[in-house]
Amino acid sequence: MLYALCFLLFMIGLYCAVVKKNMVKIVIGLAIMEYAVNLFLIMLGYRAGGAAPIIDRTYLEAGTDKVTASFINAAVDPLPQALVLTSIVISLGSLALIIAMCIRIYGKYGTFDITEIRRLKG
Amino acid sequence: MIMEQGQQNPGILDKGRTSNGAKGMTVIVKTVASWVKVLIFLFGINIVLFGHLTPGGGFAGGVILASSYVLLMLAFGREFAEENLPLPLASKLDCLGAFMFALIAILGVVFGGSFFLNFLFQKYLPGQALHLVSAGIIPLCNIAIGLKVGASLFLVVLVLSVSCKGTDCRFE
Repeated sequence: MLYALCFLLFMIGLYCAVVKKNMVKIVIGLAIMEYAVNLFLIMLGYRAGGAAPIIDRTYLEAGTDKVTASFINAAVDPLPQALVLTSIVISLGSLALIIAMCIRIYGKYGTFDITEIRRLKG
Repeated sequence: MIMEQGQQNPGILDKGRTSNGAKGMTVIVKTVASWVKVLIFLFGINIVLFGHLTPGGGFAGGVILASSYVLLMLAFGREFAEENLPLPLASKLDCLGAFMFALIAILGVVFGGSFFLNFLFQKYLPGQALHLVSAGIIPLCNIAIGLKVGASLFLVVLVLSVSCKGTDCRFE
């Protein structure tokens, strides 16, 4: 059920990126699509009633064999969280590139409307 | 964002001018920003260094390091931030971070035999669990990534704050 809502968010972003004519609205649609994908990846590693995947001193004092049994059975998956953190920063970089292109197109054509940017000017 | 024909296209960070035309924001903002930016920088270094113990690591810490310089840029104006960390130096720090990361990975081949081997943890410096000096090469990789991400995002915000009209862009 929650995965269907995540897919709905992705579809909203796709609608914005495809239908809208203003360039800034297209960029916002792309950003919403990236949020939906990151949310989906984090939701894949979730466990109902799980603890945060951080090992502290109370875990280690019980002994290493008990650490693996009690930690693995009780914590959420930390690997999707680490990869999504990387992905968020990378999407920030690509968003900066897209915004820079929008600024340069506005400086050259004087409008944000993509139906008026047809010809490649000198 | 519809502009008139004769009006110059302002840059993103040009809005911060006080009433007598000086660059930057008011006295209250400048005073508080000069105290707070050091704390933000120190917090970023903490997130980077303890990346193998607490949540965070290189990427999140690098973003926090860059945000302290963005605060400097917003409160004092673009030229002040550019004098503080000039463009060629930031570019060199960026490349240094990437090069350090590649060097650590290649040292895994030299000392161990496979790419990205954790040679410090297995042979030379195992350290104790849950202390700062542990987990081998992971803190060093975190430092390299934090340096690279911080310098890159500072460069991105600095270059985006250029005012362009037509085909000529200039730093103002």
